[in-house]
Amino acid sequence: MKGFGSALRSGLQHLGIVAIAMGSLPGVAIAHGAHIQARTATAMEIQATYDSGEPLAEATVQVFAPDDPQTPVYTGLTDADGKFVFVPTAPGNWEVSVRQAGHGDIAVVPVESEGAIASTFTNDAGLSLLQRGIVAGAVTWGCVGTALFFGRRGKQ
Amino acid sequence: MNRFLTQAAIAASLPTLLLACSPQTTPDADTTSESAPEEEVAAATDGTGELTIRANGEDFVRQGFVTKDGWEVSFDHVYVTLTGITAYQSDPPFDAEAGGTPEATETVAIAETVTVDLAEGDDNAEPIMVKSVEAPAGRYNALSWQMMPAAEGPAAGQTIWMQGTATKAGETIDFVVKLDPELEYVCGDFVGDERKGILNADEAADLEATFHFDHLFGDGEAPADDDINTGALGFDPLAAIADGGTLDVDMAALEAQLTPEEYQTLMGILPSLGHVGEGHCEETQLVDS
Repeated sequence: MKGFGSALRSGLQHLGIVAIAMGSLPGVAIAHGAHIQARTATAMEIQATYDSGEPLAEATVQVFAPDDPQTPVYTGLTDADGKFVFVPTAPGNWEVSVRQAGHGDIAVVPVESEGAIASTFTNDAGLSLLQRGIVAGAVTWGCVGTALFFGRRGKQ
Repeated sequence: MNRFLTQAAIAASLPTLLLACSPQTTPDADTTSESAPEEEVAAATDGTGELTIRANGEDFVRQGFVTKDGWEVSFDHVYVTLTGITAYQSDPPFDAEAGGTPEATETVAIAETVTVDLAEGDDNAEPIMVKSVEAPAGRYNALSWQMMPAAEGPAAGQTIWMQGTATKAGETIDFVVKLDPELEYVCGDFVGDERKGILNADEAADLEATFHFDHLFGDGEAPADDDINTGALGFDPLAAIADGGTLDVDMAALEAQLTPEEYQTLMGILPSLGHVGEGHCEETQLVDS
């Protein structure tokens, strides 16, 4: 039970948007060729830590969109730094559940249009027994933004 | 050409791989889809449904476990007595760390004081139903309750009554541990494998008061230096005050027979037992009997 009784440490950083330059592949019809597309979007990063600063590495994450609190839009694990990145695709309260080894927390992050975190967001959510900070911050994804995906091109 | 394309794809992806983004991020839905969700979230004015409050001692209670100090513990009964159970539709969501009271748009209070046996049923039993009530539809994202000594029944006079068997290295201790503090928990949203408390009209939803008894005894499957163990009492201090393979103690006996440090550890742990799934609560010890 980490971090008995101390106050939650949290912070909020600026959001960033990065434009992505995309080079095109040779215009040759090739079976099973990788087709790369990219677009610009705003990503949000949360970081889950104990109050000691120790990250919650490989913690289970579920992200719920404002219009459906029951079905996670994204699931995955935090990285070694306790970080997880997702793209809020609509304004409203996005909920991020982080769980590890019998402890968990849910952060509610209000998102405005264009993916910006609402100025009213104070990110003071926390725990009393296992203190944990969930820090919403900025992420700029280089080269491939939020929507990098590979599509198979059929034989021509 | 395929080799060229592979190299091109890798080159294009490399900056992403070098960034500390979550590599296991798995979109489970088409986030660009504008289709409405299959299930609408209930609004507070959408009628009523059935809200069930459950109490869960988890597998530690149902199936038994090995304590941090190697005792294999199984429970016959774990009685807890709950009162003042209240579910809230809190807006904004309640922050247990900040404390205070949920800002509720709807409140559902259970009038009765209820004693439940968390060890009831087999190893795979469902969490124990405390009470089911008709409630306004909406999202119940906060739960509070108090624990107090039972007025009657098998756990009369006690808030928490643990009865079971502990075995280690050929030694067996039949124990009854009776605790009578008065506690209060005010909790936010349930944190677990599934969401709880989302009540649609004419449907059912549940909320759960979860009790983490590994906080008391530790977990033999976790490393010795894990916080779940470094902060736990374990069973050795209780075994040390057993008499002829039997331990039957209440709070006064524990205070008299445990070392002051052990007793303070026990009293410090009790308020931390209550959770909502894996989510934590604002804990208050009302009375140290």
